[in-house]
Amino acid sequence: MKVSLFIPCTVDIMMPEIGVAAHTLLSNLGTQTIYHKEQTCCGQPLFNAGYRDQAKRVAKHFIEVFGEDECIVSPAGSCVCMVKYHYPELLADEPAWHSRACGLAGRVYELSQYIVDVLKTTDVGAKYAGKVTYHESCHILRGLNISDQPKKLIAGVEGAQFVELDNSTACCGFGGEFAIGYPEISEALVRDKALNFIKSGADVLLLCEPGCLLNISGYLHRNHPKKTARHLASFLAENLKKV
Amino acid sequence: MHSHVNKFIETARKELKNEPSQMFLMMVSLGAPILRQIGMSSFPDIAAAESYSRAIRADAIARLPELLEEFEKNAESKGAKVLWAKNAAEANNIILDIANRGGVSYVMKGKSMITEEIGLNEHLIKNGVEVFETDLGEVITQNLNLHPFHLVGPAINVPLEKISETFLKKGIIKKASTDPVELGGGARKYLRDKFRNLQMGIVGVNMAVAETGTIINVENEGNIRLIKSSPKTLVAIMSLEKVVPTIKDAIFMTRMLTRNCTGQKITSYVSMDTGPKKPDEQDGPEELFIIILDNGRSEIYRDFKTREILKCIRCGACLNTCPVYTKIGGYPYGATYCGPVGQVLTPMLMGIENTTDLYRACTLCGMCKQICPAGIDHPSLLLSYRSRQIDIKKQKGEKTMQSRGENAMASLISLGMSHGWLWNFGLKITRPLMNSLAKDGYIGSIPMGAQGWFGCRDLRAIPAKTFHETWNDLPSLPELSGNTSKKEDS
Repeated sequence: MKVSLFIPCTVDIMMPEIGVAAHTLLSNLGTQTIYHKEQTCCGQPLFNAGYRDQAKRVAKHFIEVFGEDECIVSPAGSCVCMVKYHYPELLADEPAWHSRACGLAGRVYELSQYIVDVLKTTDVGAKYAGKVTYHESCHILRGLNISDQPKKLIAGVEGAQFVELDNSTACCGFGGEFAIGYPEISEALVRDKALNFIKSGADVLLLCEPGCLLNISGYLHRNHPKKTARHLASFLAENLKKV
Repeated sequence: MHSHVNKFIETARKELKNEPSQMFLMMVSLGAPILRQIGMSSFPDIAAAESYSRAIRADAIARLPELLEEFEKNAESKGAKVLWAKNAAEANNIILDIANRGGVSYVMKGKSMITEEIGLNEHLIKNGVEVFETDLGEVITQNLNLHPFHLVGPAINVPLEKISETFLKKGIIKKASTDPVELGGGARKYLRDKFRNLQMGIVGVNMAVAETGTIINVENEGNIRLIKSSPKTLVAIMSLEKVVPTIKDAIFMTRMLTRNCTGQKITSYVSMDTGPKKPDEQDGPEELFIIILDNGRSEIYRDFKTREILKCIRCGACLNTCPVYTKIGGYPYGATYCGPVGQVLTPMLMGIENTTDLYRACTLCGMCKQICPAGIDHPSLLLSYRSRQIDIKKQKGEKTMQSRGENAMASLISLGMSHGWLWNFGLKITRPLMNSLAKDGYIGSIPMGAQGWFGCRDLRAIPAKTFHETWNDLPSLPELSGNTSKKEDS
C-alpha cells in the first residue's frame, strides 16, 4: 500500500523528527511512503488570518502536488482539517477546483486514524516502561472526531501505564496567531494544561498536533524543564522494540 | 451602556489579575458543564435532543419572515398591539411614548439583553422616566453601571461587600450586610414596594410562538411574572429572531434553554402569555405592546453566512465552555453580549472594523460549536469575519502603510508556499538568522515580530535539516524490516 506523506510546515521546519517518525511507523507496518518534495504548507496560517485569496493560491498548489494520491497521511490534525474542510469552502466559487478539493478531502487522513482505522493496527511494536497521558487537541478531537485511535495506540505500547489527564479536552491556548496576539490569555491556558499534566503524574504528555506541541513544550521548557511533551508518532517510533 | 470593545486586551489583562473574577470563572468552567450534563442526561438520547433543537432553530430561521407575520397576526387577534422598530432609537422612542401617554413616572423591567443592547434605561432616565431593574443581578449591574459579566448571571462576579455598599447608598438596605440572603431579601422588599403602584412594566422575550401569538419568559426569581401580571400596561420587546413556529417547538426549546443555561430541567418560573387580560380574567395587563426590533438583524439575515447567528437562544452554554471567556470573563468583550455569542453577534452590530479583537481573540478550539443547542458554527463565522476585515482593508485602498505591508507580506508568503523551491530557499535564509538567537538549543526571545510567543514560552532552535532535506537520507523499507517495498521519491 502506498501512503503519501503530508508533512506540515511546522513539522518540516521545526520538528522534522515527527515526519521521520511517521515514515518509520508507516514503513514498519508495511506501507510504502511517498514524499512529494514540492509540498510546502497547507495555507492554514493565511486562511486563519483572513487572507483567503493568498490561501487559495496555496490550496491550489497543494491540490496540484498531491494530485490523485489515494492515501494522504499527516501527523497534524489542524492541517488535515484545513485540507478536508476549508479547501472545499475556500474554492467554492471555482467549480473545477472545488470538485478537486472535495475529491481530495476524502483521501486525507490523520496519522493515528490511518494506522488504527485503515491499517487496522493498534500495536506498532513499541515498548515503554513508565506513565503516559494524552492531551486531546482541539482539531484532532472536535475537528476530526479522533480520540479513540491515539488512545488505542497508546494502550498498544507494551509496559506503558496510561494515567488520566484532568480537563484533557481543554484547549492548550495555542490557536496559531492567537498565541502571539493574545499572549496573556494564551499563557493562562497553557499554564492550566501544564499543571494538569504535572498533576497527572505522567512522565510524558502525548499529543497528535504539532501546534499544541510547540506551545506546550515551549512552555514546559521555560517553566518546568524536567517535564516533556511528545508527539505520539515520535514517542512510538523512539520506543520501537528492536527486531 | 457605552461599548468599549477597543479596550479588549487592556481589560482582559486586568481581569486575568482580578481575583474575584478568576475565582468565579474557575467555578463556572468547572461547575457549569457538569450541571449542564446532569440536566441533559434526563433526555433519553442527548445527541438526538441536540439535533432536534438545532433543527427547530434552523427551521425557524429559514422561515423567519413568514413566521413573524404569522406571529403578528395571531398576537393581534388576541388583543396585543404589535409594533415594529427598525433600530434602537425607534424602539426607545416607542417605549418612551407609551410611558408618556400613560403619564407614568417609573417603569420596572425584567432581565433582558435586548433593552441593554438598545440602551433603553439611559433613554428613559434621560427623558424623566425612572427605571427599576428587578432581576437581582441587573439591580446590581444597574447600580454599579457595569456591563454584564455573564449573559445569564450579569453580576455574579461582584463581591458581596461591594453589593452591600451600593445597596446602602441607594437605600435598598438599611444596614450593611454580606449575607446573600439578606441582600436578596432587601432588594426584594425594596422592589415589592415599587410593584404596588406599578403602572407600566417592560420585559424581554425568550420565545414568541407564531401559531398562537404567545410570548414566553423563563426566569428563576419571579419578577418577570409579576411585571407581566401586575401593571396596567405591559411592553414586551423582542429582537426578530425570537420567534418559533409552534407551541410544541417552544416547549422543547424551553427544555433545551434551561438545561443549557443553568442545568435546570425547568426554571422556577416559566410564563406564557397570550394577549392582554380578557374581560372575564382577574390578572394581567389591560394593554400589551409587543415590539419587534430589527436593529441590524435584517442585514444579518440577508447574508447567508451570518444568518445562522440568529439561531442563538442566549442560553450562555458557549460562554461556560469557551477557554477564552473562562479566563477573562465578560468585561473585555465591551458590549452587551460577551463570550462566543458576543464574538459572532457584536461585529455584525457594531461593524467589522471596530471589533477586531472579538473575532481574533479565539483559538478556534470548537467548544462553542460543539455545545451550541442552536447549531451555530462560531469558529467558521469568526474566520469569515477575519477575511472580511482583510477585504475591507484592501477595498479601502490599503491607505495605511501597516495594512499595505501586511497584505504584501501575506502575498509574499503565499507565493513562497506555492513554490517548493522558493519555500525551501526562504527557510535556508531564515534558519541561521533565527538560530543566531538560540542559547543551549532554545530561543528565549526575539528582537522583533512574534514577541508575544516568548512571554511565557521558549522556541526550540530550528533543526539543521528540514524534513525535506532529511528525506533522501531516510532508510527505505528493506533496510527497516526486510520487506521488499520501496520508499518512493517524487
